[in-house]
Order: sequence, then structure tokens, then C-alpha cells
Amino acid sequence: MCRVALDRLHYRYPGAADDALRDVSFEFPAGQRIALLGRNGSGKSTLVLHCNGLLRPRRGTVRLDGQPVAYDRRSLLRLRRHVGVVFQNPDEQLFSASVAEDISLGPLNLGLSQAEVRDRVQIAAALCDIEPLLERPTHALSGGEKTRVALAGILAMDPDILIADEVTNSLDPWMRQQVLVIFERLVAQAKTVMLATHDLELARRWADRVLVMEAGRLVANGRPAQVFADPLVRSLLALDDRNAGSTHPKES
Amino acid sequence: MRLIDTYAYANRLRRFDPALKVGLTLWVILLCLTLNRPLVSAATLAWMLALGMVWAGLPARVVLKLLFVEGMFLLLGVLGIIVTAGLEPPVGPTLQIGPLWLAVSPEAVGTALALVGRSLGCAAALNLLALTTPLVDLITLGRRLHVPELLLDLMTLTYRFIFTLLECLERMRLAQEARLGYATPHRALSSAAWIAANLLTETLRRSRQLQLALECRGWEGRLRVLPGEYVCPRHTGVIALLVTGTLIAAWSWR
Repeated sequence: MCRVALDRLHYRYPGAADDALRDVSFEFPAGQRIALLGRNGSGKSTLVLHCNGLLRPRRGTVRLDGQPVAYDRRSLLRLRRHVGVVFQNPDEQLFSASVAEDISLGPLNLGLSQAEVRDRVQIAAALCDIEPLLERPTHALSGGEKTRVALAGILAMDPDILIADEVTNSLDPWMRQQVLVIFERLVAQAKTVMLATHDLELARRWADRVLVMEAGRLVANGRPAQVFADPLVRSLLALDDRNAGSTHPKES
Repeated sequence: MRLIDTYAYANRLRRFDPALKVGLTLWVILLCLTLNRPLVSAATLAWMLALGMVWAGLPARVVLKLLFVEGMFLLLGVLGIIVTAGLEPPVGPTLQIGPLWLAVSPEAVGTALALVGRSLGCAAALNLLALTTPLVDLITLGRRLHVPELLLDLMTLTYRFIFTLLECLERMRLAQEARLGYATPHRALSSAAWIAANLLTETLRRSRQLQLALECRGWEGRLRVLPGEYVCPRHTGVIALLVTGTLIAAWSWR
């Protein structure tokens, strides 16, 4: 398991007046479930993009095994080998006409042999329960199937850390449960899963650790019970204060 | 397009090497064009329909429907050959519309029918290929034939985006329809224009997102994927020989 740490990251989008990330520091623990919470525009997706080297911080450092990421071809490939990111809309991630082909892209880019890649595709497909879909065209899949194929495309690279950016938001409860089962399998392999979500109840039930972003800052980082008891977090997430442990939104 | 794609993935020849299918198609088209006789065209048409329905196991209605559409298109195209228009009264059956004389000569009808026959024979051969070979297999074949990678990547992405944008278009249309966007011809025109404009920006946004997703997977400008695994059954050669023999026999038959 590699160590990935974010050290005092600052980022501002070109043309924006304010920073999208402000002084964010965090180290990924091994084999944990992490829920990343925050309102729309709080900086969750920007943080996710930094973890994978898709955005380069204006100030601060992303460290891999203690070494700063240099943002050259080699170091980015190394970072992406260890940190995989899955986005919310699978349609914007699947590029190939066939499922097996799509999943094979990542491991081939890592320079693995065709035999190894075939193995990786099978393992990732088994992990995501999509073996019967391997020969299907990607455009003929349902939304939930596409999400699992997008997950398999990242898992075929065998990352130590998987970051899922709101992937469960548009799924029905059954499919969401299937995705959570995949996450459990990863955690059982001592991998870390970070899920950016708006589902507070899911975060409370599922996560070992909860991070809360607000206006580009990481305002809370701790165990769910501890984070959801914090009055600042409760007010930010508009939680009902009648029960301190509750994650039900406040009625307006 | 969805119909063709669906059958391309669900037929008995799906796992056959695309080189075999492309080779057979090109060979049949070459024979149909060079052995220029109506009987050859008819034999080609019959063979391709039989191969599609029996060998590939495609539903007859799908194969015939596709050919019917192409046939109608071809018939419209040869109208100009069948009907001659002029200001002078021509020889043969004529029809006068104002100062204009329209005529149909038996030679022109023969030429048009021969042309339709040849075209339909070739179209049937191409239909067999299209209905039994997904584009992904053709792209794999392109890689084996050393077609430039850039062209193949463009084909892959274009193909993928056609379906993505069709879904997006349908969602936008439904959203407009729910707000009476197509209640009057004027509104319909305006709504369609909005869709066209939004689809362009949506395409740009999606292509940016796709680029991010590809970079996550270590993409460095080339879409490397695993080649497909195919079979080369020997009976394909026998079928090719039978088709060739039949077409040559049809050409030499007096």
C-alpha cells in the first residue's frame, strides 16, 4: 500500500475570483472507507481531481510515498497507478464500443503484457460482477451497468486508493447496494475507498472516516459520530438538531 | 443504426474473424461488378440473403427491411435514367405535361434495372457485413492492417459519441416537449434550434470530461485496447468457393 498525502493544497480555477481549495491537508489511511461531504461548490470534485494529478495545485504538494509528485509523465503515471478516480456520469468515462476493450485501456497504458491485461480485465469484471457484460457494446448497458463498467476500468489498474466522485447519487437503492458491495471487497483487500457524496445517512452508516468540505476548506475530518456531532458541521450540512446523532436534513 | 448494431452483436458469425467477413464481402462485390449480367446480380442477391438468414441466423424481416429501404432509394435514383424529358416529342411511349415531353424507352428501363440489380447485389453483400460485424471488430481489423492510429481512435470515439449524443438529444427533446416546446410549428422550429445549439456545447463539455476520465487511466494520446479473439472456421472457404462458382456459372450461362 502506497502513502498518498495532500499537503496544504491551494487551487484557483483560471478566471475565478476565489480559491476553490484553501489550505487542504489530508493523508489517506490504508484500508478505510472515507466519505467526503460538502455542499455543491464546496470543493469536493476539485479535491478529487488533485488526488489523481488531474489538477495541479497553485500552492502545496501532493506526496506519493513521501515524495512530491513532479507532474511529469512518469510521476503522473505512477500516481494514477495508485489512485483511481471514478466520476459520476459513466457515459463520460466509457470511450470504447465494447466493455472488455474499455476495461483494458488502463492496464495497457501501465505497460502490462496482453496476457496480464486479459487477467486484469477478468479480475476487475469479477470484482464488479460484470463478467456476462464483457462482450456487450457499452452503449447498450443500463446506467447501473455502465457505472460498474466504469469502476472496473479503474479497478483493472489495481489502485491502492479508489475515489468515487458521487457515483452512487444517480443509482437506485439496489444498484447503490451493488456498488457498496464492490467497495467492501476493495476494503477487504486493504484498499482505501473514498466516496464523495451528498447522502449523509450513507456516510454515517458506511464510512470509517468523514471529511467535510466548505468553501474550499476541509472543515472536519474524523469518525462519523464525532463529525456529525459537531455543531458547525451540523449547520453546514443543514442537519436536524433535535437528535444529536441524526443525519436527517433540517426541515425548513 | 441501433437495429444494425444490435444484430451485429447478436448473430452466429459474431466471433468470426472480421478479415474473413470483409474479404468475402469485397470478393462478392468485385464479382458482382465485374461479371456484369442481371443473372449474376440476382444470384449475388440470393446468396447474400441466404447467408444472412441461414448462416448468420438473422431474422428475415430485418434483412429484407434493410434491403427494401435501399431498394426504394435506388429506384428513386434511377428514375432519371428511366424517364427522358425534352421539349421535342420523342419516339416511344410519351406523356406531355405542358411544353414538356416525358418518355420511357425499353433500353433505359433495361439499363436502370441492371443498375438496380447490381447495386442491390452489392448492397446485400455490405448488409451482410454490417449486420454481422460490430464496428469494434472492423477497428480491430484496421489495427491489424496498420491503418493510422489517429483515424482508428477517431472512429472509436465518433461511434461511441453517436449513441451518447442520441441519448442526450432524446432527453433534451423530452424536456422541451414537457414544457410545450413542440406545441406549434414555430415553437418546434425554435426548440429544435435550441437543441442544436445546446448539443454542441454539451458535446464539448462531454469531450472534456472524457479526456479527464481517460487521463485518470493513464491515457497519453493513444487509445490502446486489447485485440479481440476470433475464430476462422474452414467452412467459410467452402462457402466462398460455392458463391464464386455460382456467380461464374450465372455469368457464363446462356
